[in-house]
Amino acid sequence: MGEKIVVKLRLNQQQLELVDRTVAKGIAPDRAALVRLALREYGAARPAPADKKGRS
Amino acid sequence: MSARPILFEWTMQPGTGKAVELLKGHILRIEQVEGGQCVDFNCFNLHDYREFMHCGRTRTVHGFNPSRGTFMWSAPPRERAMLYILADTYGRNDVLFPRCSAYLYESAYGFDGHTNCHDIQAEAQREYGLTPDDVHDSFNLFMCTEISSEGRATITRQNSKPGDHVDLLAMMDVLAVPNVCGADVMRTSNFSLKPIKLSVFAATPDELAAPPAVPNLRSQRSPKDFRNAAIKADRPLRRDAAYRAEFVNAPIVEKEVEIELTADELDLLRRVKLDIYGSDDAAALRDILFSWWEERFLQASSGAPAIGER
Repeated sequence: MGEKIVVKLRLNQQQLELVDRTVAKGIAPDRAALVRLALREYGAARPAPADKKGRS
Repeated sequence: MSARPILFEWTMQPGTGKAVELLKGHILRIEQVEGGQCVDFNCFNLHDYREFMHCGRTRTVHGFNPSRGTFMWSAPPRERAMLYILADTYGRNDVLFPRCSAYLYESAYGFDGHTNCHDIQAEAQREYGLTPDDVHDSFNLFMCTEISSEGRATITRQNSKPGDHVDLLAMMDVLAVPNVCGADVMRTSNFSLKPIKLSVFAATPDELAAPPAVPNLRSQRSPKDFRNAAIKADRPLRRDAAYRAEFVNAPIVEKEVEIELTADELDLLRRVKLDIYGSDDAAALRDILFSWWEERFLQASSGAPAIGER
């Protein structure tokens, strides 16, 4: 297992409600998984400059 | 249209406007007589004048130049579709510019008195007991505007022709107040003021079925939902000693949510995060979370309310 880093998100009750409703829709199993999914999909939509060159 | 009964007909002469009762399911046609004339417009809920068409809300939903197939919305907290633009043969309207005013013509042109849309609106709606303070920003029909590269709204000339018209289908009973724009020393109406024809007729079943479905949400509140529903009837403002604040969801309380990231995920975060967050990975990740949510789930852009299925 590689090293893991903990990032502490500060979310208010409204933001948590939106996160929890999204989890409840089955998009991800829990809050943390949803945040990691968001990061992966957000990153995939923004390829690194080298990736962009490779795709053009 | 020629075969259907006309319920009301009126020609607005230059310098004038007309308040028109338009019942739900009826259509107000606003029509060029000579062409090239801007028409300022607003409307009120016929049964509660405090609900009125709000250009800001309409602009966020439909953009700067709403045309056929869009709605005119009332202001928050009502936010209901008041009118539907059923037809628009010219297709150029504006919700960027406010109504012109006497101040404009005095300050910029030196007029002691001059036709202006604010005062024309006020005079037209005075027929229904409303005051000059009850005029709101106008939906400007047949008005051609652009945004300059410096971010300013500008007016251009127009070439609407006789017979060009906008048909407004009432989604509720309204008092519609169109007026012939008073700007004769600006290019808005090509430097001349011309009459505008109004006609009211009942919508056909096909026309009634034309507007897309709009939401009916708890957040669309009316006076029955207000903590203070009484219309203030005097002018000075005085503090209510019994007032206790009841802001929605206040106090706002943040909680920490721990997210375990792998080294690869942390690298990804640091590659895609915005510079404004500096070394604050948590704030950057929060931005990514909600930016992603918007991209994946939001049906309207830039903070605009959604009007389709939720």
